[in-house]
Amino acid sequence: MPIATLLHDLSNAVGPSGREDRAAQIITDFFTSGEGRPWISNLHRDRLGNIILRKTGRGEQPPRIMLAAHLDEIGLIVTALEDGFIRFSTIGGIDQRVLLGQEVIVHGREDLPGVIGAKPPHLQQAGEGNNAVKIEDMTIDLGLSPERTAALVRVGDPITIKRRCCALKNSFYAGKAMDDRAGVVALVDCLRRLKDFNHEAEVLAVITVQEELGVRGAIVSAYGLNPDIGLAVDVTHGEMPGLADYEAFKLGQGPVIVTGPPVHPLIFDKLKAAAETGKIKYQVEATVTPRGTDAYAIQIAQAGVASGLVCIPLRYMHTSVETLALDDLKETGRLLAEFIMQIDHAFVEGLKCY
Amino acid sequence: MKDLLQRLTSIPGPSGREDQVRAFIQAELEDYCDELTVDTMGNLIAFKRGGKTKLQFAAHMDEIGVIVTAIDEQGFLRFGKIGGIRPHRLYAQRVRFQNGTVGVIGAEKIDDLKELTLEKLYIDIGATSAAEAKTKVSVGDIAAFDHEFVDLGQRVVAKALDDRVGCAVLIEALKRVSKPQNDLYCTFTVQEEVGLRGAKTAAFGIEPDLGIALDVTGTGDTPEAPKLAMKLGQGAAIKIKDVSLITHPQVKELLSTLAEQNGIPYQFEVLPFGGTDAGAIQLTKAGIPAGVISIPCRYLHSPSEMVDLNDVEAAVRLVVATMEHPVTL
Repeated sequence: MPIATLLHDLSNAVGPSGREDRAAQIITDFFTSGEGRPWISNLHRDRLGNIILRKTGRGEQPPRIMLAAHLDEIGLIVTALEDGFIRFSTIGGIDQRVLLGQEVIVHGREDLPGVIGAKPPHLQQAGEGNNAVKIEDMTIDLGLSPERTAALVRVGDPITIKRRCCALKNSFYAGKAMDDRAGVVALVDCLRRLKDFNHEAEVLAVITVQEELGVRGAIVSAYGLNPDIGLAVDVTHGEMPGLADYEAFKLGQGPVIVTGPPVHPLIFDKLKAAAETGKIKYQVEATVTPRGTDAYAIQIAQAGVASGLVCIPLRYMHTSVETLALDDLKETGRLLAEFIMQIDHAFVEGLKCY
Repeated sequence: MKDLLQRLTSIPGPSGREDQVRAFIQAELEDYCDELTVDTMGNLIAFKRGGKTKLQFAAHMDEIGVIVTAIDEQGFLRFGKIGGIRPHRLYAQRVRFQNGTVGVIGAEKIDDLKELTLEKLYIDIGATSAAEAKTKVSVGDIAAFDHEFVDLGQRVVAKALDDRVGCAVLIEALKRVSKPQNDLYCTFTVQEEVGLRGAKTAAFGIEPDLGIALDVTGTGDTPEAPKLAMKLGQGAAIKIKDVSLITHPQVKELLSTLAEQNGIPYQFEVLPFGGTDAGAIQLTKAGIPAGVISIPCRYLHSPSEMVDLNDVEAAVRLVVATMEHPVTL
């Protein structure tokens, strides 16, 4: 399956935090009955729903590397029904300014198309249009009577934005849930590249859940696996008008290797070395905010894990038109594979003595 | 149940000072479980044998309160908060310390309610000097709201219903359960209001297969209330989401199916604020499926919290039904 097809399928798939099953099905099918089956030794789903793809290493006790990319997307959730309209709250950090006028799917007893309506400009008070409408004041319209709505929709049903992944020019892709399905695709691409290599390290590629609610899937999977090295793959801000150079990265210029408190200095160095060996273009981000990616959780699991963070530049994060360059995704997969092939016992030993 | 609620809510027990509540529950449960233990944090764990699946139920014993930070020359006490208390909930209230000392909360002169911050409030225990105040209270002493239990018939009002009503539900369920089909770890937790701290260590020690918290939730059934679906008197609430948890789909399925099979009134709950012990339990070790059975409650974190006894009864029945169902996840 071409990488772009997988990206398409995953971007379109439904999987808000805590309700990732449908998106998870694509991954489990791919690795149990699809093309990816021979690439891994086994697949395991843990009790919170994280998918753990294991590929064995060499020897009795190989160094163990956990890769993590999160499967969940931000979404909405039904809080109350009101005269056939639906009141809702958020799952994860949704920007309320981008919600008005969106098409949605309400995942009730069946999938129901809906729209988030807005008060016509003709009927607004003077100045009303200058303020963002609060999410508490928005409703979803299914076109159904109050009775039918109540029969099909219940409090707690998840809602996702309806948006098909769209190919732009120059192998750029725009869609919902690129954060962090792009990272998931990079992990899959890494496993594809590793399939013919007899690397020393054991690879535990974890497709995590509930990242957007507080890196919850990574907290428990990192505890359960207790790896020697953890590497999170997530997205970072892509350049766009209105952003400063230091807070955004160029699309098409390769993966972003992150340094800062959540990253072990030797992992950062090794990632750069791997990029140079593989002649992979990369960018460097210095982060002062360790929260917000799976790396933060992995680093403090059990007695501590040497962690790293690689990010894919992404424009318009947490909107339904998140935009990225396919080349960055492929290069990220290549960087991960190159990194894994360079990890041996000696390196892991070295992590413990600065 | 009314009597149990009255006795439980009248005990002062802010986070970290739950000993009197714990002693009361220990005495209640002595004859109704196989083992009663207290862990290092102070969680009380009532164990009852029943089957191979380990269920942890968690109701927190602690309530919100205040802690003395300084005593001034005139004998007024300055204080910090324990748990989430808003200043306007405190102004003009009475508080009671563990040694029985009662104080009233006064405010410095303010012209606009927006200026009402914690720093402008003080506790007056009637002392005329620092020396006199220090004979009754020391820096670090902790007090809870002092407010009487009120019986309104089908509904009751009290301080600390968050979460003594959860404790009452769990006590009553343990007394009622006749054929438990799972090993039951009924934990009465400490320090929930300051960050789900008791449940975190209790779950680590127990390592259950399923965790269920019993706690209160907000409602949308009062004038110009937030747009919430929960209503008093509509049954036990099965939580789908709050800030600390999105309920495991299988747990949601289990609880709603049991409610339907047993004819127990229930409502689904999404609460855009707050968290419960289930949030801590689910993130324990390699992950534990968790959920919450909530009791709808008006005026949360005030001295006059209100619950409906129909909802309390529904919660008891749902807990008993879960205890008596051979759970597989």
